[in-house]
Amino acid sequence: MKKNRLAQAGYNNAKSLLDIIREIGETAVSLWWHFFDWLAQVEWRKLLIIWLLLLILSASLFHFTEQAWGFILLSLALKVLAGGKRKAELEARHAESQADEESIERRVVEARMAALQAQVEPHFLFNTLALIGQLIETDPPQAARIHQNLIDYLRATLPQMRAKGAGTLGRQIEMSRAYLAIMQARMRSRLAVSIDVPEEMASATFPVMMLQILIENAIKHGLEPKIEGGRIDIRASVEGQMLQVDVVDDGVGFNPFSSDGVGLANVRERLRIQYGNRAQLVIEAPLTGGTRASIRVPYAPDIFAGNSK
Amino acid sequence: MTRPTALIADDEEGMRQQLRSRLQEVWPALDIVAEAANGVEAVALAGQHQPDIVFLDIRMPGMSGIEAARMLFNRCHLVFVTAYDQYAIEAFEQGALDYLLKPVGGERLKTTCARLQTLIGQQPDNIERQLSQLLAQHSKPAAARQEYLRWIQAVVGANLRMISTREVLFFQADEKYTRVQTEQSEVLIRKTLKELADELDPNEFWRIHRSTLVRVDAIQEVTRDLRGRQMVRIRNFPELLEVSRGHAHLFQQM
Repeated sequence: MKKNRLAQAGYNNAKSLLDIIREIGETAVSLWWHFFDWLAQVEWRKLLIIWLLLLILSASLFHFTEQAWGFILLSLALKVLAGGKRKAELEARHAESQADEESIERRVVEARMAALQAQVEPHFLFNTLALIGQLIETDPPQAARIHQNLIDYLRATLPQMRAKGAGTLGRQIEMSRAYLAIMQARMRSRLAVSIDVPEEMASATFPVMMLQILIENAIKHGLEPKIEGGRIDIRASVEGQMLQVDVVDDGVGFNPFSSDGVGLANVRERLRIQYGNRAQLVIEAPLTGGTRASIRVPYAPDIFAGNSK
Repeated sequence: MTRPTALIADDEEGMRQQLRSRLQEVWPALDIVAEAANGVEAVALAGQHQPDIVFLDIRMPGMSGIEAARMLFNRCHLVFVTAYDQYAIEAFEQGALDYLLKPVGGERLKTTCARLQTLIGQQPDNIERQLSQLLAQHSKPAAARQEYLRWIQAVVGANLRMISTREVLFFQADEKYTRVQTEQSEVLIRKTLKELADELDPNEFWRIHRSTLVRVDAIQEVTRDLRGRQMVRIRNFPELLEVSRGHAHLFQQM
């Protein structure tokens, strides 16, 4: 019984000894590969200095000159024979993983941006078409104007039709004018509009569809539910290096329990992707009632805009 | 014999005009006694004129067409009018409620008018059940939203700012106030942490400490400090937040 246990212990000892040897072996192999990778990638200049130091140290302090020469010759041979290939391999692997990461990141951002593009609301489209149908009978010139506004709006809204250079404040204001003209034709005296954007800011870079989302929100949640309607003011200003665009309405105001909505979350997410912390979406409830929504982005006017006119 | 009477309710004047002229073509005998621009007005005018038929737009300010219908259904025959309404149209087809699509006209309006002509003088169907269902369905997205606080109101300078809860990283009790931390700013509000905990979506914000509510999405990782306390690390933010022992169960098996 005792003997048996001793044998068992001996077996265990042997097993743990084997484990230790195996571990030492593994460590040696990994150390060797670390050394090899280092040797492959180290610059010749550095290697020469290390050899020199090694020679001086070994000769002056330890008298191991032979071993030092052995190491130098071995590393020289390794570096010359296999170093180049190993180095290329390592570099290629590194570049590959970096490229993978970058392309994944870019694809993720692109997919997110595509998903975040605003959609034309079917309710708006059908109501506008119904209005045009009615105006064709009663007021054909007005029908033609609304029809043109709808085309301008759709051209700017549908992502696949969006023209190059749409990302300026001027273009965004133009499309909002088209939208507001349609809404005014529908809501008549229930909607008043004023737009105050200085001419010199028209060429400034401004993300697409964001102003539009703020305006649609102001009408849908602020003014449409209000029986007597109200007004919407759009203003742009530059303060320091920041361009601020405000959309102010005097509608029913903000309900803190209403959902953030797809629109505002969309604006916030796109600002984050495009500008990081340098841009901001601010929603405020002025004391006079209604809602003020502001977008602040770095001010980047197109310096060539003046010449092309 | 007296002429049948009707009322048109639509917030857009153009749409009222169109429906009126179409009805006059298709059913010249129909007398359109009044037009309303919103749900409240529709109910008031219907009470005043007692029309046989009410045409109701669904989306109107003040009171929607469906809400107005609930107050009118046993007094007159109802026809809903809409340009586009994904929930309602489906419900109309199932519930056999009469409806018209804008722009109104053509065969569809003729069919509806022919049906209405046979119904004049009869007691309107009891459609209360359908309307209740429709109303529940129609306002479902709104009702779901009503449950939780989605915007934090904070005084910033001279203005009342609305901060979306999606922007908030965490709330922390700070004596009489509560600190609201977002990536870009820090503000103090008067609402207590307890009030916030009651109003916020419990799946969106977790209480990790007597004085801390953290947005679950903003948590990057949970680590332990040298004293063995669990600490929450927030994405893009340097501060670590302590998890009290009473809330440690939130992060077990993670």
